[in-house]
Amino acid sequence: MILTIPHQQRLPLAIAALGFLFLGLFLLYPLFNVFSASVLDGEGEKFTFANYVKILGRPFYRGAVANTLMIGVVATLTTIVVSVPFAFALARLPVPGKAAIIALAAMPLVLPSFVSAYAIVLLLGRAGVVTQWLNSWGIGFGSIYGAGGIILVYTLTLYPYVLLPTMAGFKAVDVSIEEAAQSLGSSPRRALWTVTLPIVVPSILAGGLLVFIETLENFGVPFVLAEDMPIFAVEAFKLFVGETAPNPSSAGVLGVLLILMTSLVLLIQRRFLANRRFATGARSAPPILKVGLGLRIAATIYCWSVVLLALVPFFAIVVLSFMEFRGPVLHPNFSTANFAALFERSTRPLLNTLMFATLAAIGVTLIGVPIAYVVTRLRSGLAAVLDVLATLPFAVAGTVLAIGFVVSFNSGWLILTGGPFIMVLAYTVRKIPFAVRSSSGILHQIDPSLEEASISLGRSPLQTFGRILVPLMLGGIMSGFVLTWVTIASELSATVVLYSGQWRTLTVVMFQALEGGGGGIATAAASTLIVVTLVPIALLYRLIRRYELAS
Amino acid sequence: MTGIVIEGVARTFGTVRAVDGVNLTIGEGEFFTLLGPSGCGKTTLLRMIAGFCDLDAGQIRFGTKRIDTLPAHTRDIGMVFQNYAVFPNLAVAGNVAYGLKARKVSAAEVAHRVEEALSLVQLGGYGERWPHQLSGGQLQRVAIARALVIRPQVLLFDEPLSNLDARLRVSMRAEIRELQKSLGITAIYVTHDQEEAMSVSDRIALMQSGKLEQVGAPAEIYRNPASRFAAEFMGTTNLLEPKVLGLSGAAMISLRPEALRLDAEAPAGWPRLSGVVAHVEILGPITRFDVRLGDGSLIRVASLDEPHRTLATGAQVTLAYDRARVTVLP
Repeated sequence: MILTIPHQQRLPLAIAALGFLFLGLFLLYPLFNVFSASVLDGEGEKFTFANYVKILGRPFYRGAVANTLMIGVVATLTTIVVSVPFAFALARLPVPGKAAIIALAAMPLVLPSFVSAYAIVLLLGRAGVVTQWLNSWGIGFGSIYGAGGIILVYTLTLYPYVLLPTMAGFKAVDVSIEEAAQSLGSSPRRALWTVTLPIVVPSILAGGLLVFIETLENFGVPFVLAEDMPIFAVEAFKLFVGETAPNPSSAGVLGVLLILMTSLVLLIQRRFLANRRFATGARSAPPILKVGLGLRIAATIYCWSVVLLALVPFFAIVVLSFMEFRGPVLHPNFSTANFAALFERSTRPLLNTLMFATLAAIGVTLIGVPIAYVVTRLRSGLAAVLDVLATLPFAVAGTVLAIGFVVSFNSGWLILTGGPFIMVLAYTVRKIPFAVRSSSGILHQIDPSLEEASISLGRSPLQTFGRILVPLMLGGIMSGFVLTWVTIASELSATVVLYSGQWRTLTVVMFQALEGGGGGIATAAASTLIVVTLVPIALLYRLIRRYELAS
Repeated sequence: MTGIVIEGVARTFGTVRAVDGVNLTIGEGEFFTLLGPSGCGKTTLLRMIAGFCDLDAGQIRFGTKRIDTLPAHTRDIGMVFQNYAVFPNLAVAGNVAYGLKARKVSAAEVAHRVEEALSLVQLGGYGERWPHQLSGGQLQRVAIARALVIRPQVLLFDEPLSNLDARLRVSMRAEIRELQKSLGITAIYVTHDQEEAMSVSDRIALMQSGKLEQVGAPAEIYRNPASRFAAEFMGTTNLLEPKVLGLSGAAMISLRPEALRLDAEAPAGWPRLSGVVAHVEILGPITRFDVRLGDGSLIRVASLDEPHRTLATGAQVTLAYDRARVTVLP
C-alpha cells in the first residue's frame, strides 16, 4: 500500500516536520543531555543515581528546594491578594483614569524584574538611599534581603499576570447571572461572593500558576536579593559554573528537579483548569457599580498606588543612574559619568543586545507563527504533540536550557558555544511558547473558510498562507514581535550561562557590575535597558493607535 | 460547463459513516441540490467535490476527467460559503479579482471582468468598498461574483443563504437560480431547507445518514416520496396506518395536509372521515387545523383561507380526502 498524504494536509505536515526538527534539536536534545548528565558519574561514563542521592542528601540543596517552593507559594498568594480587588475595581468600580492604569499595569511584564530587585537594594538595602535617610531619623526596619525582599519584588513585577486575566474574567460575567442571584433573594454583596467570584476563580488560578512558574524559574531576582539563602535557579547556575568535572552532573540534577517542578505545575494546570471555563456568554461588559464616595476614593487610591509602586523602582534606577557613584556608594550629585563609564569601554554590549533581540524575535516569529498554524488547523494527534512540545520551553528555566545548550553544542558535529548564535537560538526556543499562544489565539478568530475560499479560487495552500493569513494576522504578529523583542533584550538567566567574551549583552554588563560592586555601571546599564524596552513599546502603541484611528 | 459523475464515494470519520457509497450523475448546466438534515453528509459530499475532504473510496469526475485526486486549488471550482468568506483584508474589487490574479489574467482584463461580474450581481460601482461596509446580502453577492468571475466548470453553494434574513433569502434564491441558468454553469447547492431546495433546483438528492434517500425533481419527490423519511422531510405530512382510511395492507401511508378538505368544500366523490377539531391556527393565506379521529389518531389539515369558514376547537367535523394523493410507503 502506498502511503499518500492528502493535498490539504501537505503544507501543515511539512511545517510540523520542520517544527519537530527544530524543537527536537534545540529543545529535546539539550534537555536530554541535561537529564543524562544527571544520571551519569563525574566522568560521564557510568549510569548512577548517586548524583541525586548526593544533592538531595545535603541540607543546603534540600533548603534550596524548600525556599524556592515557599517563596513561590507566598509570592503567588500575595499577587492574588493584591490583584483580585484591583481587577474588580477596574472592571466594576468607578475609578478615574482606567485606560492609563491598564497601560501602566502592563509595564512590569516587559520591564526586567532583576532591575526592579536591584533598585530595591539601592533604595532599601543596607546602604540604600531610603534606609540611610530613615536611619538619620533613628528609624530602622528589617532586612529586605532574603525571602521578604524577593517576595516583594515578585509581587510588584508579576501581579499583572493575575490582574489582567482576572479583570477580563470579571468583565466577561454576564450581568443577568448576578441579576438572577439577586432575584432569587441574594443581596448584591452575597451575589458577588456566591456567584461572580466563583465564576472568576479559574482566571485567577490560571494567572496565579503563571506567577508560580515564573518564580520557580527566575534567576535575576534571587541572584540580586537572596544573599545567603539558597535558591534553586541560582544554585544550579553556581554549580554549573563551578563544576570542574567533565560532566556537569550536579547542575544536571538541579536542572532536572527544576523541570520536574514546573512541569508538575503545568500538568496540574492542564488537568484541572483546562475544562473549568465558566463561559457565561456576556454580550456586553457588566455595568459599573454605584458605590459611595468613600469606597470610590479608597479604590482609586488603591489602584493608583499599586500601579505606581510597581514602577517606582524602575523610575528610581533611571534617576540614580544620573548620580555619582564611588564604588558601590552613592553620592547625591548629578553626573553622566556612569553612562560614560558604561559606553567608553565599548558600545558592543548595547549593539549585541539590539542584534540578538532582533535576530531572535525574527526567529521566534518565523517558527512560532507557522507552528501555531499547524496547531490550529491540522486535526491530528501530531498537532497536539507539537502543541505540547512548543509549550514545553515555558516549563524550562532559562538557566537549565542554557546548561543543556552548552553541554550539547560545545563539541561534536555542531559547535555553537562561544559564538553569538547559541544565544540567539536559546532565546528563540525560550520565547516560542508565547509566539505560538498569541498566534494561535489570532488564528482561532480567522474562519478556515477564508482559506478554503482562497484555495478554491486557485491559490495553493502556501500562497494562501502568505496572501490571506499573514495579512490578516499582521497586527498580532507585529505586537508579538515587539513583545518578544523586548523580553529577549532583558533576558538574563540563559544569557549568563551562554555569553562569552565579545558577545556580552547589556544584562551581562549589569550582572558583572553587580558581582563586582560597580553600582554606577549597573544603574547605567539598567536604565539603558529600560529605554531599550520602552521605546519599541511606545512605538507599538502609537502604531496601534494610528491604525485604530485609520479604520 | 460540464457534467459531474460521483461514483461509489465514501468517507468515514471515526465510527461515523459520513458519506456511505454515493452514486450520482449530474447533467451539464443542471442546478442540483443536496438536501437533508444536519449530519446527513451533504456538506461532506460537497467538500469532497471542492477538494477539502478526502475520499476513502470511489471517485469524482468532471466530464471524463477524474478530479478527486487533484489538489483543491487546481480543480477550477467556484465555491460560495455559508459565512460568505469574503477576504476582510481586500476591497470588493480585490476579492473578485483574487481568482483571476491566481490565474495570471492580464490587468486590463481583470478590471473589465471584475466590473462585469459585479454588475451581474447588482453591485456595479461597489469595487472600492470594504467588506466591513457591506450588509450580509451584499457580502453574499460579492462571494457569488467572486465565484462566477473565474468562469468555473462547476459552482458549489454551501448553505449560502442561511445567514440572511427570511425575506432576503427568498429574493436571493431566485436571483441565484436565474444567474446559474443564464450562465449555464453546472451547480451543486447544499441546504437543509426543503422549501429553498424546491424553489431553486432542477433535481434534488435527499440524503440521510450518508446515503441517498431519493433523487428526483422537486415535485416528484414531494408527490411520490419513496420512504417515510422522504415524506416527512419534504414538507408536512400525515403518516397513517392504512386501516385509519379503511384500507388494507401493512405498510404506512402518507397523506399531505392539503389533500384533505372540509366536507362542504370537497368534491362529492372523495371519501369521508369524521372527528373532533383539536387545534386551529389561522396563518393568513392558509389555515392549519388538527382533527382527532374516532380511533384517537390525529390528522393535520391545511387549506386556503375561506372568509366564511368558522372552526372552533371541540367542534365535530367531517373531512374528505383525495384518494389519488394517498402514497403508500414501503
